[in-house]
Amino acid sequence: MTTNLIDMQNSDVIMATSNMAENHPVGFQWVMKAKERGAKLIHVDPRYTRTSAAADIHLPLRSGTNIAFFGGLINYAIAKNLYFRDYVVHYTNASFLIDPAFKTPTDLDGLFTGYDPAKKVYDRSSWKYQVDGEGNPRRDNTLKDPQTVFQLLKRHYSRYTPDMIEKVCGIPKAKFEEVAQLYCSNSGPEKTGAITYALNLTQHTNGVENIRSLCMLQLLLGNVGRPGGGVVALRGHANVQGATDLELLYHELPGYLPMPLRDQHPDLKTYLERETPKGGFWVNRPKFMVSLLKAFYGDAATKDNDFGYQWLPKRASADAYSHQHMFVDMYEGKIKGFLADGQNPAVGGPNAKLTRAAMAKLDWLLVVDIFLTETAEFWKAPGINAQDIKTEVFFLPAAPAAEKDGSLTNTMRLIQWHDKAVTPPGDVHSDADFFCSLAHRLQKLYAGSKKDRDKGFLAANFTYGAKPDEPEMVEVLKEINGVATEDITDKDGKLVYRKGQPLNSFAHLTDDGKTTSGCWIYTGVTVEVDGKLVNKAAGRKPADDKDYLAHGWGFAWPANRRILYNRAAADLRGKPWSEKKKLIWWDANAPGQKPEDKGKWVGLDVPDFNAFLAPDAKNGDKPFIMRTDLVGGFFGPLNDGPFPEHYEPVESPTKNLLSKTQINPVVKIWKVPDQKNELAPVGSPDYPYVITTYRLTEHHLSGVMSRYLPMLAELHHSHFAEISHELARELGIENGEKITVLSPRGKVHVTAMVTHRIKPFTINGKTVHQIGVPWHWGWKGVDELPGSRGDITNDLSATVGDPNVYIQETKAFVCNVKKGVV
Amino acid sequence: MPKPPHWELMIVWYFFLGGIAGGAYFTAAIADNFGGARDRGVARAGYLLSLPLVAVCGLLLIADLGVPTRFLNMMRTLKVWDPMSIGAWIVGVFGLFTFVSSALSLSSSPSHAALRRKIGLVGIFFGFFLASYTGVLLSNSAMPFSAGEGWGKLKHADRYSMLVELLLLAALIAALGAAARPLVSGHFATLFWGGLIGLGLLLPLALDLLGTRARALGALAAALVLIGGFVLRYVVLMSVQA
Amino acid sequence: MVRTLAMFTDTSLCIGCRACQVACKQWNELGLEVPEWTGGYQNHAHFTDKTYRLVRFIEEPGGKPNGDLAWLLMSDVCKHCAEAGCLDACPTGAIYRTEYGTVNINQDVCNGCRYCVSSCPFGVVSFNESTGTAKKCTFCNDRIHNGLGPACAKACPTESIQFGFRDELVGKAAKRVEKLKAMGFKDAQLYGADAKGFLGGLNAFFLLLAKPSTYDLPDNPRLPQRNVMVDSLLSIGSALVVGLGVLLSFRERGKGGPHA
Ligand code: SF4
Ligand code: SF4
Repeated sequence: MTTNLIDMQNSDVIMATSNMAENHPVGFQWVMKAKERGAKLIHVDPRYTRTSAAADIHLPLRSGTNIAFFGGLINYAIAKNLYFRDYVVHYTNASFLIDPAFKTPTDLDGLFTGYDPAKKVYDRSSWKYQVDGEGNPRRDNTLKDPQTVFQLLKRHYSRYTPDMIEKVCGIPKAKFEEVAQLYCSNSGPEKTGAITYALNLTQHTNGVENIRSLCMLQLLLGNVGRPGGGVVALRGHANVQGATDLELLYHELPGYLPMPLRDQHPDLKTYLERETPKGGFWVNRPKFMVSLLKAFYGDAATKDNDFGYQWLPKRASADAYSHQHMFVDMYEGKIKGFLADGQNPAVGGPNAKLTRAAMAKLDWLLVVDIFLTETAEFWKAPGINAQDIKTEVFFLPAAPAAEKDGSLTNTMRLIQWHDKAVTPPGDVHSDADFFCSLAHRLQKLYAGSKKDRDKGFLAANFTYGAKPDEPEMVEVLKEINGVATEDITDKDGKLVYRKGQPLNSFAHLTDDGKTTSGCWIYTGVTVEVDGKLVNKAAGRKPADDKDYLAHGWGFAWPANRRILYNRAAADLRGKPWSEKKKLIWWDANAPGQKPEDKGKWVGLDVPDFNAFLAPDAKNGDKPFIMRTDLVGGFFGPLNDGPFPEHYEPVESPTKNLLSKTQINPVVKIWKVPDQKNELAPVGSPDYPYVITTYRLTEHHLSGVMSRYLPMLAELHHSHFAEISHELARELGIENGEKITVLSPRGKVHVTAMVTHRIKPFTINGKTVHQIGVPWHWGWKGVDELPGSRGDITNDLSATVGDPNVYIQETKAFVCNVKKGVV
Repeated sequence: MPKPPHWELMIVWYFFLGGIAGGAYFTAAIADNFGGARDRGVARAGYLLSLPLVAVCGLLLIADLGVPTRFLNMMRTLKVWDPMSIGAWIVGVFGLFTFVSSALSLSSSPSHAALRRKIGLVGIFFGFFLASYTGVLLSNSAMPFSAGEGWGKLKHADRYSMLVELLLLAALIAALGAAARPLVSGHFATLFWGGLIGLGLLLPLALDLLGTRARALGALAAALVLIGGFVLRYVVLMSVQA
Repeated sequence: MVRTLAMFTDTSLCIGCRACQVACKQWNELGLEVPEWTGGYQNHAHFTDKTYRLVRFIEEPGGKPNGDLAWLLMSDVCKHCAEAGCLDACPTGAIYRTEYGTVNINQDVCNGCRYCVSSCPFGVVSFNESTGTAKKCTFCNDRIHNGLGPACAKACPTESIQFGFRDELVGKAAKRVEKLKAMGFKDAQLYGADAKGFLGGLNAFFLLLAKPSTYDLPDNPRLPQRNVMVDSLLSIGSALVVGLGVLLSFRERGKGGPHA
């Protein structure tokens, strides 16, 4: 996220699009603080939840219509002239001119220029800036030129009128205008608003564009990089941010470096040439990449062997290896073995029936977890005959956080250390122990290999501290941080870093092999002070009057900055936009970089900017330093277009009311054999209701950390579906009775929770019912609590994905509901 | 929302038997002191009946405790405004009286009889207390007295016991046949019809079923039940004697 | 006298996360309980011997200042009344008042007579079948005697449950109520904050956003023991009536009147 939860207390208006009170209750304290200070809370959610209970206004919208809604707000802000003009002109690419060949869905009935219907991909060659002779983008700061991003944007979203919002989202026009006015009018120099999102926006076949649309709204209103503003990305669990930073992902290496592609990146030089942009902070990518390779392969990585680049596995294609790809491949017999460490896809993955069927085709499965999960015992699933399963299954008991040292990186990029509280019982080990000892055993097995491809693995270090199979976690953090591989001196010959000394800043990383860093953005988390290692993640100095952002509590990457792009909190000349919203500013009298210089960025946060780059210097007024063009991007090409456009979810009760393009034209829909991924047609009478799946405060993800704990498991009576009184009446369902929810993929039996908190929508004049089903349940739980067990909600969802990151669409699809157990 | 204490069958019996024990002793002592020679038998029967009844009461009460072995903890304190504390003490003290009175009633010595009469007059207080404190106990809870719901099983038991008492009475009258005539038409008649059936049973039942929440009516119902209960016990005992 | 401690539960800040309910269970080791269906998220209709903190979820159509549906969330608990029905009712002296003003049940003395159960105007005390004793919130007696606040207050992420000295909290609460009223919550009110109000004030008091009865709370709770006097008089009166009747009939019989 661009901001920091503590800073949300400074918001004047907060638009929660996720169910923050339930899923991020601890962070929500800052929302409540803001409310105590008079901020308004708007909750945009199909369901009325505990967040709505705390909100001033609850605005239900039909699941899967987020882009229509945000587009409507963008349209409203522009039409009513409520956007922050100075910010938009100077800090974003609104004034940039786009190639004249570029056309938007306004002209092409839902498509952008370059669509190839046969291949279902875009040719993106016209999606680009016009450049001048020197290669710089051409701009029109009056924003009047019809080819400016601003005018294109304006035209694109002019179709997203309040009437259209009412038809598509089911939000009454008056209510939409009330919210639009409230949110958009709280922007400008004196005011800021924040928007939260979580999986409510990501788990769609246009998940990435969903998020872009809210980012664009925030840019338009000048809400990025400023106190009380921001894009509040709320992560799905305690360490998702850490997992992302360290890239437990298929397409990136630690620190957001692209995972090399086999054909595009044959060697390090090509890789760096293709992936290093001409401007922005990413020009340093070679330093980060080489330091990463040095961290991986140590002394074996040399300039002569491309620092071991060839030892890295390469992707054959970008359209492969994601979670969903993996299980389809597994079902088709392409994957023979599977190691599930702390994950329960038998319950948590989309189309969970397919997931379990896929695991039944494996030769072996190794599950490392704190309980015997449904994944570990998928062969015991109801309706499965264990004798038919040939998969050999292993289970290793794992230690939870309290039984090991380590760190978690939370939703606000804050790395927080935790110490081991108790020793794990019996033969239980931490994941780190497991992976290090596994690596050591494998290294032994490969010891004699002369093959090139094995050299990297043999060279890699898996020993941290005195005991090889029991890593000292602080040493691991130090490796992530990075060290000097030899004595480093400055140009006067003065020793800056001794060999092995941890680095203070990623600014000191080099591309010559003299530094290592396991994840460049973390550099600075462990430093040496007076010869002693200091772990900043363990810092516990709370906020006070002088430092409301609590810089002494943990360590926020990058460089302990709490609010990203905070240069945008000051105007062009470096002054705060207003006294009320000041964060960092240019102090012309402060001592500069060199003794003879003056001027420095100072304030309440670590500047996310060159601290000595004066506002009037070249690029001194461009806050978005991670972007090549240094400004915020309204125009930002993704696989499905440079502007978000509303398409219906793959399964929808209605045709697209905005264009003839029904669904995301480049969506990923997997063809799975044996009818394992059937989809309902648009407006299917067999599946007339919209369904969304979600989480509850009381449970955690697929239930592994809650369904086995009586204190948590007893908090909900049983697995349930929330349905409206209206639908209950239509179907003759009583509150508390058992019902069956069906989709083309499967069915679940749950308790009906009939509630005023769910209301039917009127979509294009017709009543559309929506239901909600949490997905925490599985067939395992506490014996004494029958309600801790339940059917698997994900048996209903489909194997379809967003075209950029292949995330599933579990927040909006269709179902049927039947009274009783059928 | 206040909660019922889940006093179940044992406590209903305890209330009922405690009432009869108190009533029997009360009647016995009155008969002993103010009745004629023919009432000696009534007195002795009353004393002798009250002793085992109060013993059973004590046992029921103890058995119903969550931790019966801690019965004596009730004797740690005496709270005069606390019906439960007083009640526990009364069971003990009254038990002592029934024991002494019963023992003395077996003797034919006139000095014993004189002592017995005096003891009886004092014992009346405790007997009366035992018979009536349960009503105070019940009304002194946070449960709305005449609320139909919530008082739960005890409230129902209360209602049913009144009905059962009615039925028992009817059966008794039928069984006695002609012998019951004095009861329904003799000099007990006014007391019986007016006091027992009307005031004590029908009216409170009506109030109860009406489910009125008015506090005053609740208290009235309580008082009426008390009176009815007494009349019932008295009438039953006396008819048996007649 | 030690300064009176209190818990102030501000329902306007509650997000119904039930951290308090679980923290209470965990700290007090209250154990597993099969929930009944209550129609919604709330997992017990009332306090139980294993649930001392109970978060209530009340759907109130039209309950928001703007006329929207309100979902009232309230973390309920023993009120630690200044005049406590349970304490007055207890015949063994097991229920006592601590030096901090809290009301606690000595589990070694309680004999399980259950009079306190029906004597609490709020239905807080519950009987535990396995220990045979009465159970309720202890105000984390062990924690407050070791310089810690109650587990629920500690766990609450939004400071909906605040712990501190009663007088200070009451002052804070009064300000908060004014603020909420100004924000349009016209039914915002304190419940039990006033030491001159019902039950001598509650040491666990509340800020409510609707009438007390909406939350299943009595509007004007009274000490059940207030009836002892009247009822005793009533029963003495009835005794007199009965005694008189009995006396009369024996007088008559003493005269040897005829009977069949
Ligand atoms: S709320 Fe009930 S249990 Fe708590 S102190 Fe008051 S009377 Fe006693
Ligand atoms: S912990 Fe606080 S916010 Fe959560 S339910 Fe309890 S009182 Fe409410």
